[in-house]
Amino acid sequence: MLEIDQLKVVYTSNQQSINALGPITMSFEQGEIYAVIGPSGCGKSTLLHVLGGIIQDFEGQVDFNGDRLNANKYAIGFIPQNFGLLPWKNVEKNCLISLKIRGMAIDQQVKDRVNSIMKRLNIHNLMNRYPNSLSGGQRQRVAIARAFSMNPDLLLMDEPFSALDSLTREEAQELFIDLWNEYKVTTVFVTHSVEEAIYMGKKIVIMSHCPGTIVEVIDNPLFNHMEGIRHLSEGTNESLRDSEKYLKLSAHIRGIIKRGWKK
Amino acid sequence: MRTKRKLSTFVQGFIIINLLWYGLSIFMNLRVLPTPFMVYQKISLLYTDKIYQHILVSLYRVLSGLGIAMILGIGIGLLIAYSGWWNKLLNPLIYFTYPIPKTVLLPILMLLFGLGDSSKITLIVLIIIFQVIVSARDAVQGISQETYAFIHSLGASKYQIFIHVTLPAILPELLTNLRLSVGTALSILFFAEAYGTHYGIGYYILDAWSRMDYISMYLGVVTISLVGFALFIAVDLLEESVCKWKQ
Ligand SMILES: Nc1ncnc2c1ncn2[C@@H]1O[C@H](COP(=O)(O)OP(=O)(O)OP(=O)(O)O)[C@@H](O)[C@H]1O
Ligand SMILES: [Mg+2]
Repeated sequence: MLEIDQLKVVYTSNQQSINALGPITMSFEQGEIYAVIGPSGCGKSTLLHVLGGIIQDFEGQVDFNGDRLNANKYAIGFIPQNFGLLPWKNVEKNCLISLKIRGMAIDQQVKDRVNSIMKRLNIHNLMNRYPNSLSGGQRQRVAIARAFSMNPDLLLMDEPFSALDSLTREEAQELFIDLWNEYKVTTVFVTHSVEEAIYMGKKIVIMSHCPGTIVEVIDNPLFNHMEGIRHLSEGTNESLRDSEKYLKLSAHIRGIIKRGWKK
Repeated sequence: MRTKRKLSTFVQGFIIINLLWYGLSIFMNLRVLPTPFMVYQKISLLYTDKIYQHILVSLYRVLSGLGIAMILGIGIGLLIAYSGWWNKLLNPLIYFTYPIPKTVLLPILMLLFGLGDSSKITLIVLIIIFQVIVSARDAVQGISQETYAFIHSLGASKYQIFIHVTLPAILPELLTNLRLSVGTALSILFFAEAYGTHYGIGYYILDAWSRMDYISMYLGVVTISLVGFALFIAVDLLEESVCKWKQ
């Protein structure tokens, strides 16, 4: 379990302090997937950077399974908004770098695992290519493969799908959910899209304007039930009921947005 | 494929230069401007006049100067980029000495280090090292914080961050700088070899000039140009093997 207690982040730039986030108190349960949605500049990326150990200068406390969250101790898969691939390493080396840096042995078992993930994401034939020569969707899949390949304790993604066009995005979301359902890694991801939050988030966390605090955490009944809504092919009763739920939930979230991200 | 294309560019350039040279020498019809054929006929001088020895001596001076300047320069540049303290100490020094034309130091260097190779190599190092320091420092400082976000999330050590992110990120700029430095080093070499030596291709050219042996002089010019070109190719090959991802 990931517990955040009175977390507050203050940036200083040009001798001015900017209160960017919090205070936030919240706990994230093991094996869940959280969608964080909030207005631009409210501190979503900042929150992920704290969880990822990239920002270490913060007030409050962040605990993971009862002790301090530490990037050295726990495997944290972090996918930044620009995917963060290293341009000077080919796809294969990019996928293995996390393991290498964490000092994990790259034995046959690990290789098989990485290979099967790459096959699932359909990037195994790109092994020797460099990121510069890949499309946005391919880069994103490499970033996902890289994160999953080290079997992370925690997965963090900053607007992972926003750089993709809408068709590629839907496909990538489906691939991701597929993979996630297999490994069930505790995941926190940031999104700007209500639809994406409902499709991908088991829990939806709504944040307020800067400095971001938590407005509401919603249990999403529609997680893993969106196929029927997305692919309107089957007009079954169940998918009709889901459609109703979907409209209600998205109206609820949009209401909060209309009220200026207040409850 | 790339090497093939480069080679054909080289051949084209070589032919064009020689045609221009030929045209000019026919047009001017002077003893001091022989045609390329007259020069190439004497190519055996390379051996009988021991030009290859002069080339080796010159290469030794240029490569030592380049090597020392690059290694020291990159080291100091990194030191400045990483440590505020060193930056405070060295920045004023670099800022102050940067605009001084360092070739004027040759007499002083010769008084200090003698007439031999060390004063010539030191001059090359002194001139090149400042550009190297500045470009290494700027390259490191130009890497955006975003580039590091991912590797920080893995809890990487400073050494790992340097090896996997900083170094590969600055390599292209360092190689560009090396390319510029090769040109600079060769020009300084010619100047430095005018004094206190009987070896080196610079000396050979100046000596032939003073003896009014114009054919040998031109042969020397052609030779030093080819040496410069060979060094350029070497940098190209290095770049191709180290920065594969750029292509
Ligand atoms: N390096 C920094 N220095 C100073 N202020 C910063 C810095 N990074 C972010 N901020 C400020 O902190 C606040 C939160 O930024 P953050 O990037 O976390 O927002 P965000 O919710 O991710 O926004 P977006 O949805 O646009 O990506 C913003 O007001 C921003 O201006
Ligand atoms: Mg952001």
